[in-house]
Amino acid sequence: MVIRIYRDKEFELLEDVYDPGEDSYMMVDAALDEVTYGEKVLEIGTGSGIISLFIKDIANVVAVDINPHACRNARQNGIDVIRTDMFSGICGKFDTIIFNPPYLPTSDEERLDTWLNRAFDGGPSGKDVIYSFIENVRNHLTPHGKVLTVISSLTDIEDVEDKFRAHGFKVDTLSVHKICFESLAVLKAYLA
Amino acid sequence: MKKDLMEILCCPVCKGDLELEVVRENDVEVLDGALYCKKCNERYPIEDGIPNLLPPELR
Repeated sequence: MVIRIYRDKEFELLEDVYDPGEDSYMMVDAALDEVTYGEKVLEIGTGSGIISLFIKDIANVVAVDINPHACRNARQNGIDVIRTDMFSGICGKFDTIIFNPPYLPTSDEERLDTWLNRAFDGGPSGKDVIYSFIENVRNHLTPHGKVLTVISSLTDIEDVEDKFRAHGFKVDTLSVHKICFESLAVLKAYLA
Repeated sequence: MKKDLMEILCCPVCKGDLELEVVRENDVEVLDGALYCKKCNERYPIEDGIPNLLPPELR
């Protein structure tokens, strides 16, 4: 077991669980800015639970992951977690839905044969999982609900923004970070 | 899992309501048990406090 620290919080990291990176920490910062007191929040693909950990004392947070090791890890970090595939076992509506998706373009040869693959693999274009999310997320949002997500320039940020708009969302860019060979953008998509 | 999570959970196959079956619990939550879908006649296990709502073929 490994201990990671961000801001003032320590959290545990188990094997075969996504080791939080710049994308995770950008999402923590965005969630702290955007989630308001008492909201109902759903986090998809929580991994270690790092993002939910920072807002669980502010909001009513539930997290899901398909990776059994991630579920165990998030629970150890104090998160209420459900093992399911994106929205498949979830029927409620939420004020905020948070998703740090697997967004890397991934060929057959690059695919890992472990649960960790689900944290990275966005299909050949990188867009498979985020597009599927965008097509379904509206059914799980309250009328003034919002989505916080992060996407890489390797995936094409503008295409993802356009996909949100095609499904009736407005999109704001909350932050952009350039790291060595890509840019990461945190997006807020909300119903007008 | 805390019992109030029942409000947001559904069967991943038919999206119908689930019945909670408790085997072991503490003051806070259910530790072991199952979520039963009457319509599909399927039980989704709760183990060590984590409900597993993957369809049987994906578990």
